[in-house]
Amino acid sequence: MNPTDRRHPWSRLVAAARAAPDDRDPAAPFGFATRVAALALSAPPRPSFSLVFERLSLRALGVACLLMLACVAVSYPAIARTSDDEVTVRDPIAEVLELES
Amino acid sequence: MSDPTAFDLAGCLQRVRQRDQSAARELVDELYPLVIRIVRAHLPRHVAEEDLSQEIFMKMFTRLEQYQGAVPFSHWVSRIAVTTCIDHLRAQKRRPEFRWADLSEDEAAVLDAVLTSESDQAPDDALAARELVNKLLGQLNPADRLVLQLLDLEQKTVAEIRALTGWNSSLIKVRAFRARRKLQKLFKELQRKEHS
Repeated sequence: MNPTDRRHPWSRLVAAARAAPDDRDPAAPFGFATRVAALALSAPPRPSFSLVFERLSLRALGVACLLMLACVAVSYPAIARTSDDEVTVRDPIAEVLELES
Repeated sequence: MSDPTAFDLAGCLQRVRQRDQSAARELVDELYPLVIRIVRAHLPRHVAEEDLSQEIFMKMFTRLEQYQGAVPFSHWVSRIAVTTCIDHLRAQKRRPEFRWADLSEDEAAVLDAVLTSESDQAPDDALAARELVNKLLGQLNPADRLVLQLLDLEQKTVAEIRALTGWNSSLIKVRAFRARRKLQKLFKELQRKEHS
């Protein structure tokens, strides 16, 4: 269907509809702007995405640090027991070397 | 020399961001004609135009921090208005069936004139034609309806519709094609009923 074809019913119908006057007032009704402005500004401002991301990232960093410290604290006795001169695992070569010395 | 009565949009937005209520009022007054034109053109049934306009302005204020100035502010607000209207139209699950019996006398006469006359003369009753166009557009899905309304009724270009809706040109053309094909089918059906 060619939209500019005036012989088509739709084209003739919209051409007639376009001629209809629109005498409705385009100005805001009395008190509308005041009401909308008051409503809009009474609500707390919504934080932007970057702000929310920043806040969440900081929290995530804090939680990650706590987890890291907890892991170190839990495994510290095991780490402390392991020294260079102590054989903690069954290592045949180390045992042979120890026997020779 | 600059016009002293010209609206200082940048200054007004700055003040609104600082929660200045009088600036917010000025902004609403300034944008109301733009918003109400879109609302009136795409108003769903049983929704008051003032309620819909208020919803659009509330969305505008809530999202104001997201406005980066990449597009003109009026385009940004138009997109909010258009998407809000489409959302409301989509919420109306059922579209009323288009029937001769539901048309007023004037609308039926206009429809009869456009269906039977082969001349390129437009029918005389513009108001009835406008009502009839709205009823026919009501048969389409909201996005297709919007495209056809902007293209054929408001005679906007594809570029203007792109700016208004944010859709790409191909999508707009596909929607217009689909909408016109559906209307053509509807007209054929009406013609068949008229002859039978």
